[in-house]
Amino acid sequence: MSRREGSLEDPQADSSASPLTHLEAKIQQTHSLARLLTKYAEQLLQEYVQHQGDPFGLPGFSPPRLPVADLSDPAPGHADLPVQERLRLDAAALAALPQLLDVVRRLQAELNPRALRLLRRLEDAARQVRALGAAVEALLGALGAESRGPGPEYAAAAATDSAGVFPAKVLGFRVCGLYLEWVSRTEVDLGQLAPGGPA
Amino acid sequence: MPAGRPGPAAQSARRPPPPLLPLLLLCVLGAPRAGSGADTAVISPQDPTLLIGSSLQATCSVHGDSPGATAEGLYWTLNGRRLPPELSRMLNASTMALALANLNGSRQQSGDNLVCHARDGSILAGSCLYVGLPPEKPFNISCWSKNMKDLTCRWTPGAHGETFLHTNYSLKYKLRWYGQDNTCEEYHTVGPHSCHIPKDLALFTPYEIWVEATNRLGSARSDVLTLDILDVVTTDPPPDVHVSRVGGLEDQLSVRWVSPPALKDFLFQAKYQIRYRVEDSVDWKVVDDVSNQTSCRLAGLKPGTVYFVQVRCNPFGIYGSKKAGIWSEWSHPTAASTPRSERPGPGGGACEPRGGEPSSGPVRRELKQFLGWLKKHAYCSNLSFRLYDQWRAWMQKSHKTRNQDEGILSSGRRGAARGPAR
Repeated sequence: MSRREGSLEDPQADSSASPLTHLEAKIQQTHSLARLLTKYAEQLLQEYVQHQGDPFGLPGFSPPRLPVADLSDPAPGHADLPVQERLRLDAAALAALPQLLDVVRRLQAELNPRALRLLRRLEDAARQVRALGAAVEALLGALGAESRGPGPEYAAAAATDSAGVFPAKVLGFRVCGLYLEWVSRTEVDLGQLAPGGPA
Repeated sequence: MPAGRPGPAAQSARRPPPPLLPLLLLCVLGAPRAGSGADTAVISPQDPTLLIGSSLQATCSVHGDSPGATAEGLYWTLNGRRLPPELSRMLNASTMALALANLNGSRQQSGDNLVCHARDGSILAGSCLYVGLPPEKPFNISCWSKNMKDLTCRWTPGAHGETFLHTNYSLKYKLRWYGQDNTCEEYHTVGPHSCHIPKDLALFTPYEIWVEATNRLGSARSDVLTLDILDVVTTDPPPDVHVSRVGGLEDQLSVRWVSPPALKDFLFQAKYQIRYRVEDSVDWKVVDDVSNQTSCRLAGLKPGTVYFVQVRCNPFGIYGSKKAGIWSEWSHPTAASTPRSERPGPGGGACEPRGGEPSSGPVRRELKQFLGWLKKHAYCSNLSFRLYDQWRAWMQKSHKTRNQDEGILSSGRRGAARGPAR
């Protein structure tokens, strides 16, 4: 079992407290973080589409949902999986997102250099999702579930000259959308793990 | 395939699209999706840069193996708005052309979104149009040095300002007789078109300063401003400005201040300006001929009136320079009141209000509040008009509309009036 940063304290260090209390507290804390990041992710997506111009902000805008760097949307059957398996998938997705958000930030720094708030939100999102991913991994460790370990290094792209500004905008839209989907998915999955949530 | 035609007399400075970054793996629009057999397309030109008013010919070419890979039914949108079909025509079975004329400036700096759609509305390809103007020559560069330690400059962008394209401004400077070009790095310090050079500036030698503006359509350079740092020095406002009565003289106030300490080690003469106004007025009177003194007596004032006074400094003559420096900001307002006239007014010697002033009721209430304030803020129990004047200044600052409200209240009630409790 690999333990990452942010792993739980050894409950036996404080013999007067029940080990379950620490775990419950950690679950609630991580759940709250996921809820907060879901709200931030919604705001990020709104800010992002404003700066790209229509049709990005229009209702029904739907560019091709192409896979991005081995990260795809939660599968349709995700909710039917055991909660620990769901959290493993959540953790893997959360681990992939910081690099992608950073790519988007760098693209937007060229496309929208004066959109300082957008750039700041993208930078914050990368940092925050990294923290959430670490917290989920720590929970998995505490639950005795193996995480998938460090994700693969994303290889350099097979660069194509056909890539242009519009695909760069679409990429950012896709990544911001994936960020929102995965943090909200994580929030739901943690909610089921929290005391009082469905089994 | 016909390319986009930039407008006449335009050297379209096309920037390459943002480079793909090493961590990116993206199935790009235009590249077939692996295994899906779906149709995709390519728009040409990709991300053109055009002058406002110019025309564009674009094409959308469909690729794919399926029988549906045809240009039949394709349509275009620009910034989400569907373009009239009469602007499009099929060049061949797999290519749809578009002709746009008299283009307007781009709606967003990231480029206008020109999108090619399949019959069912799905997006096949996109291209971003950059339509704008080249920058005009920046002008009106002005610079100042705070206490000879730095240099801040600001400028005005070219005559029209709006280029519809991201325009980068770069302030450059160099020593006139030797040295290389340097680029200022701290932008937007005192507004959107400003830059601050914090250190490593030489004195007694002229600098050349200019601004370069660059965007996708070209660049422009301002005229060169030549200056010596010593000729554009400004300073902090004079500190410790005190305003006081001149004995019992009803129409005079004495103003005293200290010369700015930051320049005390340099050989210079300072000149000062004073401005003052009546408490409820917005019109300042300026006393201009205050040379190298640190006190001044204002005369010809109205008795029994509160005045606000400010002082500013011009550090001219630094190290023998013949040029005037740059005026500092005005000091914080300091208030004082002239003594009331000794002549008895109506009602026999009481502190009667003059025309236009609020009734004695509010004045007495004010005094009561003032005494309460004194207990908190004064460490001497002596009641003095100086302290009273300081309080008036404080009240003026924190309840700007109180006198207005009192004026309105005297003619009719008004809800939620601010100011002291009634």
